[in-house]
Formats: sequence, structure tokens, C-alpha cells
Amino acid sequence: MTLTLDGPRIVKTAPLVQLRGVNKSYGSVVALCDVSATVYPGEVLGIVGESGSGKSTLLRMMNLEETPDAGSYTLDLPDLDGNLFDLDRFARRMLCATRIGIVYQNPHLGLLMKNSSSGNVAERLLVAGERRFAVLREKARAALAASEFPLERLDAPPIELSGGMQQRVQLAKAIALEPALLLLDEPTTGLDVSVQALVLDTLKRLQRDRHITMVIVSHDLGVIRTLADRVMVMRRGAVVEAGLADQIFQDPQHPYTQQLVHAKL
Amino acid sequence: MAYVATRGGERAIEQSERLFREVMGAIDATRVAEIRAAMPYLIDRVVGEASLYDEDLAALALAQTGGELYEAVLLLRAWRTTQPRLGVAAPVEQSDLFTHRRISAAFKDIPGGQVLGPTLDYSHRVLETDVLAGTPFYPPKVDPADTPAPAYQPSVSAWQAANDLVDLPEPDTTKGEAIPDVTREPLLFPSKRAHTLQSLARAETGSVLALGYAAMRGYGQAHPTVNELRLAEAEVMVMHPSGTVFSAGRVKVSQAEVVSKQGETLGLGFAATFGWNEVKCIAAATLDLNAKGAPKGSATEEEFFLYHTEGVEASGFCIHFKLPHYVTFQSSLDAMRDAKAQKLKEPAE
Amino acid sequence: MSLASLTKPWAPMSYGFLDASAKRELRRKMIKAVCVPGCQMPYASREVPMARGWGTGGLQVSLTLIHPQMRVKVIDQGADDSVNAASIRRFLARVSGAPVTLDTLEADLIQSRHRIPEEILREDQVLVLQVPNPEPLRSVQPNMSIARQMHGDADYGRMWLQLYEQIVRSGRVMQGASYPSMVNGRHVMTPSPIPRWDVPKLHMARHLTILSAGREKRIFAVPPYTRVEPLVFDDVPYRVEDHGGLTCYRSGTKGFFMNEIPQGDGSSAYEVSDSAFGVKAIRTREGKGIEMGETWYKDGAMTQ
Repeated sequence: MTLTLDGPRIVKTAPLVQLRGVNKSYGSVVALCDVSATVYPGEVLGIVGESGSGKSTLLRMMNLEETPDAGSYTLDLPDLDGNLFDLDRFARRMLCATRIGIVYQNPHLGLLMKNSSSGNVAERLLVAGERRFAVLREKARAALAASEFPLERLDAPPIELSGGMQQRVQLAKAIALEPALLLLDEPTTGLDVSVQALVLDTLKRLQRDRHITMVIVSHDLGVIRTLADRVMVMRRGAVVEAGLADQIFQDPQHPYTQQLVHAKL
Repeated sequence: MAYVATRGGERAIEQSERLFREVMGAIDATRVAEIRAAMPYLIDRVVGEASLYDEDLAALALAQTGGELYEAVLLLRAWRTTQPRLGVAAPVEQSDLFTHRRISAAFKDIPGGQVLGPTLDYSHRVLETDVLAGTPFYPPKVDPADTPAPAYQPSVSAWQAANDLVDLPEPDTTKGEAIPDVTREPLLFPSKRAHTLQSLARAETGSVLALGYAAMRGYGQAHPTVNELRLAEAEVMVMHPSGTVFSAGRVKVSQAEVVSKQGETLGLGFAATFGWNEVKCIAAATLDLNAKGAPKGSATEEEFFLYHTEGVEASGFCIHFKLPHYVTFQSSLDAMRDAKAQKLKEPAE
Repeated sequence: MSLASLTKPWAPMSYGFLDASAKRELRRKMIKAVCVPGCQMPYASREVPMARGWGTGGLQVSLTLIHPQMRVKVIDQGADDSVNAASIRRFLARVSGAPVTLDTLEADLIQSRHRIPEEILREDQVLVLQVPNPEPLRSVQPNMSIARQMHGDADYGRMWLQLYEQIVRSGRVMQGASYPSMVNGRHVMTPSPIPRWDVPKLHMARHLTILSAGREKRIFAVPPYTRVEPLVFDDVPYRVEDHGGLTCYRSGTKGFFMNEIPQGDGSSAYEVSDSAFGVKAIRTREGKGIEMGETWYKDGAMTQ
């Protein structure tokens, strides 16, 4: 049985993100089995599961880094139509570069470690076609400020910064173009507990102030609990349970979900 | 005289060439023949790197350049450019190689035997200074064996394949003009197998050794065992347009096959070249062995070692730094001076 | 049956040194290059009787185009009598019988290392530039295959980023020669190590420019009347070298790209880099009525 996220919704808006029937296998290993999800504008979807659950693979697909064997992916945006998995290379790259932001668990994946922090953010703007130096400078500064990055280190290269600061640079880079969708893959995993809390605070504030639609993947229920409006639980490539966050945490239906939630509590 | 600025440039370069050539004096056919007779291994190295098999021309190139190897190889390669392509010879099978020397480090003995052939491997490296004092060195005569070593040898890897120890590559049946030719097509990556083997065949010995040595010392993933090293002669079989097939003669070739354990099978590396050049073959085969699965952009991938073992290109680029670069230098100075001036201005503002 | 029966009587070289297969390869790749302005076309570069790195790419283009009536000019750093230019000019004449000239206005073909002459080139002239490194992305991506994919994707963010970082660090773009430029609005190319002074001459030029790297085996081209736009931020203008106000101490010409000659007392003298132009200026001053062509730069500034 497949579970989707079409739960009751208080506000009548059209979904922003729709994933339908996503399947992916690597040889004989099934990474994703008939996964569907819906995300409404301005809300946060938390995807939780253990390693091997397929959650990171799903996120990479939402960032168009990989294509599934079957399935569709649509974004309700003015000049976008049809299944994004069918887009050609150029269109895929442009979409990724301008409308979707991503923060990786490993900053080396998302950042140019030896360029300046402001440069990392500027690169996004440059790819999108910004050609005014003053504007690059200003927007980079603004995005870093919104990510609560210390501005006196504006031009320091990420390689010289702490883990928490590196994540903030990633965040600034991801939000610089005001993306339609922000994806976060274990954004605080590996950071000191105290730093984790600070970064989560920043994410909360950003989400509240800018109503950014987010999909956040984590094995850590605490992180999901802090941020998510909706939760999707994944296990071995399949969606096990999905629904509003409060429901999932207070009244989990599936035994696996119950295990997860109670282990945390 | 400024390096560039005078009109005497043409006269100067003419005299500089004369100065170089003065030392070698007259070059005649006798000298060329002497070089050919006296320096067979140097000739072999040069024909290999030139990818042009002609021992007389190689000896001439060495005579003309006074032994400056990079210049000699360039002469031959430039010559090669001018010669028309008559055809493509038939492929040579391993079992048809007339083998002078064939050894394997993988097994104590092998079908066909360990044939030492001509080598200095077991000699004592002592300079025969008596020669300079007036006593010529006469090499002792060879005692022929009671039974001659077989001239044709099966390959060691065939035995290994039969014993499921190695997966030999599928034989490539492409023939004639259809075989990709690295001197007629640009080398792009991932490289065609033919292009890789051809590039290694004409690679510069010293650079192949340097990179191969690095791989052997641990910068590469795979540690090589010499499965087979061969010094042989190959028959060049040519087909006339009328249909007759004939031999255009024999060329000396050397080849090395190296193996290493890769999981449950043996990985293979191979290289061959014109002339007898063992160091180059073993080092090149080691580079080939390590190339599979080398990370993109690393120093062990093909794109790295094929680019950097091209001796004619490398030496040319190296010495091009002697050319005047004062325009680009002036451009850099301009940017530097202006940036400095800006910095000095700022505190005042 | 012998090998001799397979071929014609032996000759030491073909016309123009290169054999038919080499010329065909060069011609095809040149046409391809003209069809996609600024895009590097890989070609099977041949060895010629000159060391790699010394202009073999430019030479192969010239050898392919050359014919016995073609007037050829060869310069290096702007000078005809540079030792290497002299060597190349001699070789071209020797293998083709083509006449040589020092006068930019007279030449049909100009092979040049690192400079574009000061006199405006016409539609009937071809400029061949020698290129050491054809890949403008080299400093951000040393691997040629990855860089090639970046060009295919028009993935130039890292290039622009490099310019941004230069301004952040040093207050200005620090790129000296070889200024990366967008050709026909699609491909970024290196204009070869010509000074920034020379790059504007390529934009909407009347003449054809072919750029060839023999060692790296790439050819690219700027067809006539094609846009060539150095990568610049809208609010940080392109700056050429500060030579607009300099005077050549030998010819008296003002406002052209100069060679700086350090003097014994610590000062510098300047002489015009386009040496044939300098000689013409001297002859004009002496009243010898030499024709001096229209120049791209007037009073030290670009006129277009």
C-alpha cells in the first residue's frame, strides 16, 4: 500500500511540489519503491528514516541530480510545465541553479572551499546571470546576514571556518536567489550539539520570515520535530507513514514509526 | 643586442645554428653507419619515441643533432609528417612474434621456458677503462645452447585465462584503415583503447619511467608483477591493392604485460613499442594497469599520464619559455602597478 | 612485388610541407571553428620542423592556407625581426615560395605570437594567432575533458567567480594578457596571450582571426563581424594597459602599446611594440611618404 501526503489542509492552496510513483533501483538493490509526496507552499516537509531508507536519494532526485526509473516530479511555478525528470540537461541545470536551493550534510559537496564565502554565494548569482559587481556584493552580504553568518568573515574561505559557519555559507548560497524550494540533507548532522541548536534556530527564523518551502531530511527526530509541518517516514526505499507532524509524533500508526518515536522519547 | 629589437635577428639565428653544428663537423654516410652499428639501443629508443621504424634515419637524426635526443625525435616525427601513408599492415599475433627474449616474474617456469636472451640484467656494471688506455674490449663469443630456445612462444596470460585467473580483453578484430590512429585524430578522453596503446608506444621513456615509478612506489593503487616481458621481431605483412600479400620486412618490438590482484582476478596492464626498450614497456604497462578506476582529475588517470609523457610536446613547451614573453609580462606589470597604486590611495581617502 | 610499387617517386616534402591528409584535417577543423565562433575544435596536430610550444599550431594553419601568391607577415611580440618570427617567416617562404612582407597593409596572411598589429585589418586579410593554452577555464579546471563539458553546458560561473575574487582581493581585475572573452554571445575563449589593449580589436572586426594551439591540439576562430566581449561586470569597466599617454622614444608615435625598456639610471624608456609601424612612422617623419594605415586606437583610445 502506498501512502501519500494528501492529508487535510486548512488553507486551500495548490501544492507546490508533487512527486508521484518514484521508483529507482541500482542493479538488484531497490533504493526507492513507489514513493509519492506532496508539499504545499511555505510548509516544511520532514523526511525521516535510518540510513538506507532512501531519503537522501529522494532528495537528490528533487534536486534533479539523478533521474528515477519511473515517476513524475512537478513544481507549480509560472513557467514550468510537465514532468521535471524529462527535462533536458540544460533545462535541468538552469532549474537547479536558479529555482532550487540545497544544503548538503558535507559542506565540501556544496561549497568551493578555497574561494571566499561571499564568492560562494556570488557564484550562484553569477550563474543566474547577475553581472553587477555591487549587486553581487550586496546580495551576498544580505544572504549571509540572513543566515546569521558573522559578516566580518565575509571573504574568508570556507576551509578556514568552523562546521557551523560552513553550513551557514551553504544556507546563504541556497537562499540567495529566493528559491521556490529549499532542500536540506542532514544539515546539522556532525555539528556540535550546541551549534546544531543555533543552526536550527536560524532555519526556523528564516522559514518563519520568508515562508520558504522546505524539504528536510534527517535521521534525527528532534530536528524534524523542531522544523516540520508534515512528516514522511521512510524505510528501505518505501514510505511507511505520512501525515501532519503533530499526528505522527502524538499518534503514530505504523509499528516502525511507533518504534522510532518511542525510542526518541 | 636586444633579444628581439634589432633587424639583425635573421643573421643572428643563422649564426647560432652554425655555432651548434660546428662541433659535430661534417656528417657523412660513414658516420651514420657507425652510429647505427655502435648504438643499437639508443636507435631503438629513438625509433620508438618517433613512432617511425627506420634505423638509418634514426642514426642520421642522431648524427645531425649530435645526440640531443629531443631534437632527434622531433626531426623524425617532422619527417614522418611529410611521408605519404601507403597502407596498414596486418595485425601481429603473439604466437607469430619471433622472440629473442621472454621472461616472466609470475612463475618460476613457463611453457616455452624463461628465455633470457640479450640483456645486461646479470652483468657487473664495471667501466672498461682499459679501452681508453689502448686495449680494445672484445666481447666473449656466445656458446650456443644444445637445443635452441623456441622462436615462438605462447603467452603466459593464455595459460592464466585457461585457469580462470584472468579475464583477457575481447580480441579487437578492427582492421586496416578502420583502426583509430592517434596521429590522424585528436586524442579525446575517455580515450579509445587504440589511442592509449599508440600513445604509450610513442611516449618519452624518461617521463613514462617517472610517472610509472611514482605509481609503483604507492601513488598508484596496483602493485605490478611482470607477467611477461618480450623482446621480439614482428613481420610487417602488407597487402598490395592487387591482392598479393607480402612481407615488407621485420621490425624489432618490445612489450610488457603486468598484472596485479584485483579482488578475485588479476588486473592487466599492457604496453608495447618499436625497438627494444624494457624500462619504457614495464613502466608504461604499470601506468596502464593503474588507469582503470583512477579518479577523474587525478595523476594516475589516462588523461594525466598520456598528456604528460608526450616528449616532443613536453620538451617543446619547456624550452618555449626561452621565447620573449615581454608583452604578457608588461600586461601583468600594468595590473600589479595599478592595484598597488589603488592601495596607496585608499588610506588618504 | 615491393613497397615502391605502392607509391609515387619519393620527394622530401609536399608543397607547404604538410601532406594532403594534414591539410584536409586542418581545413575541416578550421571550417568547423568558423561555424561555431569561439568554440575549441580538437584536431590531429602534426609535428612540423619546429619545437612544440613555438608556434606549430599557427604554422599548421598558415601552411594550410598558403599559396605561391600569398603575401605573408610574421611577428612575435609585435616585432617582425624577433628571432622566432624570423625563423617562421623563413620556413614559410622556403616551403611555399610565397612572398614575405613586413608591412601590415600589404599582407594577406599575418601569423602572430601575442599581438595584433595597430593598423586596422581588412576583410581580405587573415590573422593567425599562436596559442599556448587554448583553455580559458584552465585555472579553474585543469582537466581538459571536464572543461570541455563546461563549455558545452555554458557553465562559466567559476570563471566569473575568479574575476569577482580578484576585485575583492586586489580592488580590480588582475587578469593581465589572455583576457577571457565571450564570442558571439555563447562560448568563452582565450584570445591568446595578447594584451588587454588588443582584445577590443577583435570585436566586430572586418578580418577573420584563427587561433591555433599545436601542442594542445585545438583550433578556434573569430569570424568577421562577430562579437567578442571581454568578461566584465556591468559596473566595473574593462581596462586596457595604461599606455594611452606614452610616447615611443625612437619613432615619436604616441598612444600605442609600448615595450618598456629599463634604463641604466632606474627609469624606463618606451618604444612602440608594433615595430613595423614604428619604422613606418620614422620613415614618414623623414619625409619618405610611406602609407600608414588607419589605426584602431587614436590619441591613445579605442575608436570603436
